Amino acid sequence: MNSASLRFPGAMIASIALAFVLLLMPLSDSLLLWRPEWVALAFIYWCLTLPDKVSLFLAWFAGLFIDILFGSILGQHAFTMIIVVYMSLRLLPRISANTLWHQYALISLVLGTYLLINLWIMAATGNNPATWRYWLPLLSSLIIWPIYTWVLSWFRVERGRFDEF
Amino acid sequence: MNDIIDNNSQSSLLIKFMLLVAISAVVMAVDYRGTALQPVRTALTMLVYPFQYAVDAPFRVSNYLSDYFSDHKKMAAENRQLRTTLDIYAARNQKYHSIASENRRLREQLNAVSAVKEHFLLAEVLSVSGNTFRRKVTINRGANEDIYTGQVVIAGKNIYGQIDSIAPNSAEIMQIIDTDHAIHVRNQRTDSSALAVGTGKTNLLELKNIEANVDIKEGDIYVSSGLGQLYPADYPVAVVSSIAYNSRDSFMKVMARTLTDFTTTREVLAIWQAKKAAITKDIEPQSQLKKNKQKEKQKNKQITPRKKN
Repeated sequence: MNSASLRFPGAMIASIALAFVLLLMPLSDSLLLWRPEWVALAFIYWCLTLPDKVSLFLAWFAGLFIDILFGSILGQHAFTMIIVVYMSLRLLPRISANTLWHQYALISLVLGTYLLINLWIMAATGNNPATWRYWLPLLSSLIIWPIYTWVLSWFRVERGRFDEF
Repeated sequence: MNDIIDNNSQSSLLIKFMLLVAISAVVMAVDYRGTALQPVRTALTMLVYPFQYAVDAPFRVSNYLSDYFSDHKKMAAENRQLRTTLDIYAARNQKYHSIASENRRLREQLNAVSAVKEHFLLAEVLSVSGNTFRRKVTINRGANEDIYTGQVVIAGKNIYGQIDSIAPNSAEIMQIIDTDHAIHVRNQRTDSSALAVGTGKTNLLELKNIEANVDIKEGDIYVSSGLGQLYPADYPVAVVSSIAYNSRDSFMKVMARTLTDFTTTREVLAIWQAKKAAITKDIEPQSQLKKNKQKEKQKNKQITPRKKN
């Protein structure tokens, strides 16, 4: 996927904004438990397709906004979001980014770490959800991933193979 | 050559990462320990509020449209019912006025301070989803309308929650079912008290500190006791839904369903209560003699400035 580029300047930020809209979408309580980690998935997508363009600072601010929206302790999601980006970028050379199963392995590992560290911070600050259902978003994120990548692929363009001539 | 560049970019990535980790750690520690970051939180809340409002807008419009296009017959029936309710409330209000005037007369006779009226403000709950395991919602009123932290919010005649944090145009309510929330309640039938703690689950509270020998039945209604001086007394909170005995425990495990339906409520009322407790505390313990003396003093005080003038 080396020949990809952003569809327009700020396309990455626009895609993150879309992820936030999905995050804020009103859901019933039973569906809310299944809400995929939209923002983290979007960052993983960009790490896989345009690793050079992904900014840790953008991830940090996106995490900070999640903290504001969720009323969680400031810095919690900011911290875990930069872990998502850093891990994805470091693991990228070790996988073949076009293979779905490799992507799934990476997402499971990265999102698993993301959720686990969030859980640790929540437990340490006295808001332990204390239910196995906390891990449902990991499953739903994997399920939604192929569709989500299809949606997000609108934000980038594949440079044609004839452009090089 | 490529390797060197890769190594360089990787080490710069690592440096950036470590820097941000350090900043996050500091921010978390400061936010956990104190309120120093409250202005930052307020500023960022103001920044994201338009976004929340925009996401909520289509749902608000669809609600409005479904109201607009709803069946005429259904509307008429609803209208009739509302008018009946209004009549009933008007009648009750009439009674209330007579009681209020009687109360005022009695207070005058007792030389007591008159109770100041409460007033209300209607706020709309934004239907955006937040943290899965917390029960906090955003409303479209804030510090500009004099909303304050710790303010009581009710829905209909039932208790809804309290204001958790404020921004100029919005505020966050902690619902009574949040795991961090507790409210002191009183059984309407037997007057025995309990602590209603949020479970984090929809419309469900756990009543704590109820000993196994206490008289309690399913269907008992618990109202706010007014202890703790936050919530006004006698507002309905929850109805007992299940009682479980445990032979090893001297307390019962009682669950109660809230009378507010948190899944459908979109409009809430913020209450301003006058600080009655603070005012009456100074007056109450004094005897009539002292009161008379004070009156004389006040009279003197009133006279002296006049002389100066």
